[in-house]
Amino acid sequence: MVRRVTIKKKQWFTDEIFGLEVHLPNLDLQPGQFFQVRTSTTYDPFLNRPISIASYKGGRLLLIIKVVGRGTKMLGQKKVGEDLQILGPFGKGLKLKKKKSLLIAGGIGVAPLLFLAQKMYGKRIEFDFVYGVKKEQALIKKSHISQIARHAIFVAEQGRSKMTVLGALDMLDIASYDIAYACGPTTMLIELQKLNLPIPVYAFCEDFLGCGCGLCLGCAIMYKGEYKRICEDGPVFELKGISFDE
Amino acid sequence: MIKLFGIIFKNRVFIASGVFGFGLKYKRVSNQVGAIFTKGITLEPRKGNPPPRVFETASGLINWVGLENPGVEKFCEEILPKMNKLHTKIFVNVAGSEVVHYERIVERIGEQVDGFELNISCPNVKEGGVAFGQDPKIAASVVARARTKTKLPLIVKLTPNFCDPLKIARVCIAAGADGISLINTLHGMVYDTGRKRPLITGGLSGPAIKPFALYCVNRLQGLGVPIIGMGGIMTGQDAYEFLLAGASAVAIGSAILRDPYAPLKIIRELKKMSNKNGNS
Repeated sequence: MVRRVTIKKKQWFTDEIFGLEVHLPNLDLQPGQFFQVRTSTTYDPFLNRPISIASYKGGRLLLIIKVVGRGTKMLGQKKVGEDLQILGPFGKGLKLKKKKSLLIAGGIGVAPLLFLAQKMYGKRIEFDFVYGVKKEQALIKKSHISQIARHAIFVAEQGRSKMTVLGALDMLDIASYDIAYACGPTTMLIELQKLNLPIPVYAFCEDFLGCGCGLCLGCAIMYKGEYKRICEDGPVFELKGISFDE
Repeated sequence: MIKLFGIIFKNRVFIASGVFGFGLKYKRVSNQVGAIFTKGITLEPRKGNPPPRVFETASGLINWVGLENPGVEKFCEEILPKMNKLHTKIFVNVAGSEVVHYERIVERIGEQVDGFELNISCPNVKEGGVAFGQDPKIAASVVARARTKTKLPLIVKLTPNFCDPLKIARVCIAAGADGISLINTLHGMVYDTGRKRPLITGGLSGPAIKPFALYCVNRLQGLGVPIIGMGGIMTGQDAYEFLLAGASAVAIGSAILRDPYAPLKIIRELKKMSNKNGNS
């Protein structure tokens, strides 16, 4: 069902990343879930855009969006007080495990991990947060992450650290964690898979979605030998089970 | 209510094959539409095509799902009993890579459904599919052989890709088809300029193809069998246009990708339009 909600707040974090806050009370939202956001009331762009949950507190839902094409650009032009049409939530939520966790974020992949961190903080699950971007100024929500994570590491390929997020993992004793959660570009997930970390890693995946709710089979990912739907069976999958080349 | 193929449907708004799975997730929608056309069913299970499978285009999208489905056995054993609890008519979309597959699937399913839609127009498979729907001899053969296996309504889903659907429709009706549905998706392609190769090649659907779909439906009117019109229907007004153009019913496809409840809105709007214009 399409919900019409009013944009209560809007904030530009960088010149291409912005947040929209809407009021959507009484939902039981889990990390990994997402909303399908309509970019236009016309048929062009045609499909909704899957946007992960960056925060949900007291009925206030925060969506953090990066402008990557025409649809997200149109969302960036929305103003406070305007209506937003959204569907969802969709996707299987993560069941949080009380385990010492490592969160690995690359680029805009930080958005769903912010919500995961918020939930973990609420449940007093200990976690460290590694977050890397290309350019230093693209790091968002740094102070918030530093406040809630036990340790936070921020790196930028073209910044002072001159390091990728996966390079930053060398600074950590990975075996001291029980579990890791990663979200970022597919190239990052592929490289992370090759590292073969000694702990289970769960990847938040993305793709072009059709319906976003499990009907059209448009968002396939090869997982443990068969195609799964990213929108309905995921979007979180254990990294070692994913075949990125099929 | 309307009567087509000797069957009473609760309304003229159906759900097209491929966009609604087997109608088991959004049952409130399934129970209010006139009929559901299942995802394409093949003799053996098909895992479908590798990603990317969908890509947005101007006022529509291209899909390259490739008939992912559990195969007819699993469909009959596990899915059909659940579908038969829905309060709507069930038509199985039958797809094959050989002519003989269609009759085998129809025979295996038997009388557990309300009818069949022979898919000789899928643009996303290597063998069969659209190639069968472009060749009058093969199209007629698929229909005639399936006809020997069932007394239930046989609808043939046609393509307008590089052929005249009117010509194919005539031979299919002569071979025993009870109805025609059209149009299936149009051939389409998106290019990856960086890699200098196609990013996706598949079936184009959505509002972008509606004028052409409407033209095709209109071209086929008067053949003496019901036509189920589809192609980019988003509103009751769109549906009404298809009925005026010669369709007896319409099927909703891509609109569902924007909103799984879209058929309910279209049913309401169509009812309003029909009442206003004095049609039933």
